[in-house]
Amino acid sequence: MKEFGLEAVVIEPGPAMQYLTGVRWGRSERTFALVVPLKGDLGFVLPGFEEMRAKELIQPGSDIRVWQEDESPYQLIAKILKDRGVSSGRVGMDPSVRFFVYDGVKKLAPGLSYVSAQAALKSAGVDTTAQPGRR
Amino acid sequence: MTDGVQPIPKEEREARVEKARKLMRENRIDAVLMEGGSSTFYFTGRRSAAAILLFPRGGPVWLADARETPKALKDGGVSTGQVGVEERVRFELVDAIARELPALEFVSADPVIAGCRMTKSPGEIALLQRANDITIACYRAALASLREGMTQQELSANIAAGYKLLGVEGDAMAIFGKYTAFPHGSIQPQKLREGDLVLIDDGCRVEGYQSDITRTVIFGKPTQRQRDIWELERKAQDAALAAAKPGATCESVDAAARKVITDAGFGPGYKLPGLPHRTGHGIGLDGHEWPYLVRGNKRPLEPGMCFSDEPTIAIHGEFGVRLEDCMYITETGARMFTKQSPAIDQPFG
Repeated sequence: MKEFGLEAVVIEPGPAMQYLTGVRWGRSERTFALVVPLKGDLGFVLPGFEEMRAKELIQPGSDIRVWQEDESPYQLIAKILKDRGVSSGRVGMDPSVRFFVYDGVKKLAPGLSYVSAQAALKSAGVDTTAQPGRR
Repeated sequence: MTDGVQPIPKEEREARVEKARKLMRENRIDAVLMEGGSSTFYFTGRRSAAAILLFPRGGPVWLADARETPKALKDGGVSTGQVGVEERVRFELVDAIARELPALEFVSADPVIAGCRMTKSPGEIALLQRANDITIACYRAALASLREGMTQQELSANIAAGYKLLGVEGDAMAIFGKYTAFPHGSIQPQKLREGDLVLIDDGCRVEGYQSDITRTVIFGKPTQRQRDIWELERKAQDAALAAAKPGATCESVDAAARKVITDAGFGPGYKLPGLPHRTGHGIGLDGHEWPYLVRGNKRPLEPGMCFSDEPTIAIHGEFGVRLEDCMYITETGARMFTKQSPAIDQPFG
């Protein structure tokens, strides 16, 4: 990430999340995201009612933040970025992040610039051409 | 069970594109961008395109290679203005377009795409009906296969095999015993035991249209506690059905089911033990789609909208109960596609 000038990377379920954390999760309309900051702990953002099931998969002690059905997951992603000191610069998006997730984050953290994390993920060993699964 | 299924005719797809164009003008969206998936299938009958663009005039523009998208936008006269992006388009594509056409603004295409897809035609409702009928037939056979010691994977596999025999593709999640309190199950290995609740959920597709049905049923004899919670769940499901009328807001349907559960001392809100999620979702070419029956959604229900009605009651350490049937909104109220489960030991009405 340092080499590619990224302050953080935002990842949806799929090959990158599985490669980096071992967490295999199906994509749905409910945002489940991983924030990998340049400095500090990884952060997971996930639906409140899935917390028990997610904790079967996520390493104990991880920073897990949950959103309830009428709350914004993007607020939580923006907060993790802020908590890790990412308030300016470039944030890498997993190239397969869906538009509604990107759009939601961008609206709540408009001061950042969003670029593809493809090169960084690839050089970290992620197969960025593999398909993310659905629920 | 697919005899006589009527696919959506070409004329209906063309009318959908026409409606999308009208919504584009109303929302000042100069082009809509989609990648191959349920939305391209909705408008064109095909899922295989790399990308499809809709413009306010002319037919959909097909792109076999997504890298042609910036040029196609320019050729369509859209190098400034607003591009509506279908919700599942990947960041990579939006970013590639933005780099070539930096003056474009990317906005959600939901007002156009959900605006079309949210209300279903009689032909769509007939396809959804068929998918629901097939799921009930499949569940009937699968629940007859319950046996002591069975794993959740075996029951899931029986359901998938049942769908195959009935001529469709479908799958299901199966959850046993205390893990029924996890709305989407658990990876823990489960073996069916006398007195366990069994929860099965999911559906199949007919011409792309999805069913989504949950049954929670007792294996053996239920305890009084299981009976009481099951009956409370059924009341909550009934309350949502009764509240789902044209003009009622989406959130009011959620509130109606939730009230039954909180009045019985659970919750409040999403708190456990109680109802940890929204009461339902729209359903059509996607198993979950707009609009959602969730607090904060003030959209009024309209005839033709289709929803799941599925409040869960989750009690960790004990069990959970979910009954899910899908309903469609008519001029006079909501109608279920399927007969609700009448009792804890009778999954089918």
